This record gives sequence, C-alpha cells and structure tokens, in this order.
Amino acid sequence: MYYISISKEDWHRSLEYLSPEYDIFVPVKDEYSLDYEPFRLSMADQVAYNEPKPATPLKNFFLPVRENVTSMAGTRKSRIIVGVPNCDIEALLLLDEIYLDDGFTDPFYRTRRETTILIASDCFSAGEHCHCTSYGVKPYPERHADMAIAADGDTVFLRVITDKGGSLVNRLLSAHPVTDMSQLVFMEERHMSVESDLALKNKGLPNYEATGDIVGKAGKEIWVKYASKCVSCGACTTICPTCSCFLLIDKPDFEKVKQMDACQYPGFERVAGGEDALFELPDRFRNRYMCKYVWRPQRFRSLACTGCGRCIEACIGRINKNELFMELA
Amino acid sequence: MADTYNIYKPVMATLEEVIEESPLIKTFVLIPREEFSFKTGQFIELSVDGIGEAPFTPSSSPLVTDRLEVTVMKTGYVTGHMHELMPGSVMGIRGPYGRGYPVNEFEGKEILILGGGCGLAPIRSLLFTLEDMKDRLEKVILCYGSKTPADCIYKPLFSRLNSIDKFEAYRTVDITDDDWDGPVGVATHLLEDVKVNIERSVAVVCGPPIMMKYGTLKLLDMGYRDDQIYLSMEKNMSCGLGKCGHCMMGEFFVCKDGPVFTYREIRHNPDIWK
Repeated sequence: MYYISISKEDWHRSLEYLSPEYDIFVPVKDEYSLDYEPFRLSMADQVAYNEPKPATPLKNFFLPVRENVTSMAGTRKSRIIVGVPNCDIEALLLLDEIYLDDGFTDPFYRTRRETTILIASDCFSAGEHCHCTSYGVKPYPERHADMAIAADGDTVFLRVITDKGGSLVNRLLSAHPVTDMSQLVFMEERHMSVESDLALKNKGLPNYEATGDIVGKAGKEIWVKYASKCVSCGACTTICPTCSCFLLIDKPDFEKVKQMDACQYPGFERVAGGEDALFELPDRFRNRYMCKYVWRPQRFRSLACTGCGRCIEACIGRINKNELFMELA
Repeated sequence: MADTYNIYKPVMATLEEVIEESPLIKTFVLIPREEFSFKTGQFIELSVDGIGEAPFTPSSSPLVTDRLEVTVMKTGYVTGHMHELMPGSVMGIRGPYGRGYPVNEFEGKEILILGGGCGLAPIRSLLFTLEDMKDRLEKVILCYGSKTPADCIYKPLFSRLNSIDKFEAYRTVDITDDDWDGPVGVATHLLEDVKVNIERSVAVVCGPPIMMKYGTLKLLDMGYRDDQIYLSMEKNMSCGLGKCGHCMMGEFFVCKDGPVFTYREIRHNPDIWK
C-alpha cells in the first residue's frame, strides 16, 4: 500500500484521457441525492469526493436488475468506478463468495469483476444512519478496493492497494508518489473524526456478532410488532449491498433471464405443492434479519450487513432495524 | 472448468417416452444430447421450453448413463405443461446438483426406507443403486404409503423388490378401495412391524413434509440416532447453484448443501418442517 498525489484538475483530465478505454462512473451530488453518473469532464466540479455512500449500492454494477444469462456477453468495455464507500467494498466480498464459488462461478459476474477497477473513497463524514464501525467496517478502505481516494482542496491523494490499482497509476497525468507523510495528516484526522462521530451516533448498538445472538433468540412478538409497518415492498432488499437473491425466468429457445428477487416478496419460498414457509409477513420480515445476522454468518466468511443504513433510509414504513436491535438488546 | 462454461445454460434432451404412472403422475424418459450422469439423490432442473423449470430427483438408476427417467406429479404451472408434452419433444436439463445419498456409508448396514407419495421417485433411484450393491448390504426394507391404492406409482416395483434377496417392501394406503386388502393408515405405522437391527441400520425418509416430520420423530422413538436418519428436503430449488436464495433453509442452501441431510445436521433449526 502506498500513496500518490495528483492535482484534482490532472486527476479529472486523466479520467477524461482514460474514457475511450473505460466506462467511468463517479459520484455526483445534486440538491436531491448523491449517486454515480458517467464521468464527463464538463461536470468535473460536481464530482463529490469523500461523502458518505451514494444512493445506488455497488452490487448493481455487478448484478444487473435483469439480464439474459444464456447468451454470453461479447467483449465488454472495462470500467472504473470511483467513489465507492467501504461499506459497499466489504459487501462485495459476500457477493464474491456466492457468485465466484468454485464449480459454480457465474461467468457474467466474473467478467464484470475482472474488468472493473474499484477506486473507493474514504468517508470524511457519516450519513444519518451510517453504522459501519458498529460491525467492524472502517469508513475508509484499506483492502479489497484497487485504490482509495481522499481529496484535500485541489489535491487528490490515492491510496494504492492492489496491483490492478498500481497499473492504473502509470496511466495518470502528473501523479507523484507521496514521500512527505505529513501531507497525509489531514486524512488521518478526518478518519479519526468520522470514526468518533460514528461511535457517538451508534452508542449502545450491538456489534455484528451480538446482533446475531439477539436476533437468533428473539421471540415472535418483536417480528409481529415491526412487521406491522412492513408492506413487503422489498425496498430494503433492493437497496441492500449484500442482498443478491434472484429468480430465473424461462424464455423461448431455452433462454433464461435472471432477475433480482427478494425474500420479502410473497411466494419467494413457495413450492409447487403449495407449501410456503414464508407465507406470513412476520416470517418474511424475520427471514431478512435471520439471513443477515444469523444464517449467512454461519455459512460465509464475509459480513452480510456492513452497516450502510440504506435499508433504514429506503423503508416507506420507517422501520429502523437499529431501533429493533436496541429494543432487543 | 472451461472459461466459457455457463452455469445457467441447460443441456438439451429428447423426450423418448412418457409413461403414465397414475392419473396425476407421469414418468418422462429422456435422452440427453450431451454426456450426463448423476449420483443417486442428486437432482436436476428440468425445463419446458419458454415455460419454466423445476427441480426433480431422477427416478432411474444412476448406473444407466445414456438416458434418465424423471417422475413428475402434475401440481402447478410448469408440471402442468410437462404433462402435455409428447414423445419427440425437446426438454432442457441442468445439473446434476447437490449432495445425494452417501451410499458408501451404507455398506454393511440395514437400510430402512420410509417413503410417501411422489417421494417414491427418488427412492426408486436409490433402490436401483442399493440393488447393485446388495452384496455389501445386510438388508433393505421399504415402507411406503400412498393416499389411495391408485395413487401408488411403480406398482410392479413392490413385487419385484420382494423377489430380490435381502429386500423387503411394504405398502399402505390412507384411504382404501374395494380391491385393496393391505394395511390402511399412514406409512409411519408400517415401521412398527419391521424387524431391524437399529444399531447397524440407517434410515432414509423421503416424502411430503408432514411425513418427513412424523417419520423422523417415529424413527427417533424407535431408537435411531439423529445421524442415522437421512432426509431428502424439499424446497424451492430454483437455480440449483447455491445462489438464488429460494431454497434457503437456515444457513443451508438446500440445492447445494443438500438436498440430502442427516437429521443431526439440520435439527437445530425449528423451521425445517415448514
């Protein structure tokens, strides 16, 4: 891991220079939201660095909402995704475990992973419902992303994490290795400040393992109570960076379309004989919590919730999972 | 595995013959157009072009590799379309998927099989396998129940099994008719009369959820340990690849970690019988 610095102007010119070769996405902030948009030099001043998470979870770049999975994609343009928060980088690890599984590797997911360069972003502030640190996720990436970006005024600092990230450094205009580490003091201060904000904001929230314990032991009453405000819209699963369940739909000529699906929708577990283990809404509601905090941790190494808080923000019933946990704790 | 391998793409198979087993159950004899083999207890995803696919455990012997048989009860949209298919149709097969019966661990043992309804389909495949290895087995006992005598599939199977050395097969029905002179009652009742050395035995249960539950409880009551009972779990296995999530049963993907589990592996989850 090492750092390079580059002026913001040269950084944006570099992205422009790389555009014919890569599809480049950057986080853009407007009065309504912060989300990824294709990079154009003309909108460089709207690119928002070091803000908390963009609205779209990173998974959408790797698992499209709907795609034909029987005709293999032709050559795909490589991509650079800039400004990915660490909660989404960590969430990608679970998707890797599921989709790059030995013997059953999803060729579409693999191609996208191989041809994407992830330039993550250090969060210098926390969103209202951010709680990554409660689950052991730092608000700045030090692994798994190819690089991480931290902007200071007109200068951009890039933390180079992987060889893939390193190979891109050679393509940047006027990039310099950082030799004077005092230049990075601002970054460390920001890291400490956001971590203390997060700790204060989420004081008393059980950690990931303790959440699994209380969720696993929770009685039916709590699920019935919180599910009473749930309308099974699936917003929480759609926006979740680790939810990746899908449905295979058959089309003529034995083509198959893979479409994102979710356990929150009625009928998800229904079998042909009519049995449906998740027929009742409170059971479906509970299933998401059990999956994220009890079952996936038993089955996989990676976190199934990285504390991004999007599900809280997306819920039209204003269901706050952290309030549920605090009630159980 | 080759880089071009696509896990979602089915292998084409020609439907050679359709055998009517009961008013609602048909067996489809398929000739895969590419090499295809499976282990007993594993399942496949069988698709009707443009309609859909569903998981089935082949009912034929895994030792026969140029064709396979799949027994299908007409219960829903996809199976309804399957029942309309005529010989010569083309179907799609993906798989085989999952973990089947660990038959090597059955060597030297008495195998007690409890089956109900359409559960006899995967059991038939297991019976073919056990017949092939019968010199290495002590005994095979099949206890099977169907709703009515007419609902019992593979009727000739029972007399054939009873003619094989070391094999015993018993049938019961829930609802009798004029021609039936055998036992009446659920399949679990048949277990009361079987002579089995439990210490040297394993039990296999395959059938509708209610039978799986009470069958397992009965076997435990008889003295079977939880790791001697093998259950073939039924869930909505949609992708078969441990990805789509439809068949999650607690921490397990039934399609990949199962469908065959010992009761010991899954008993900590109170929701398995749902």
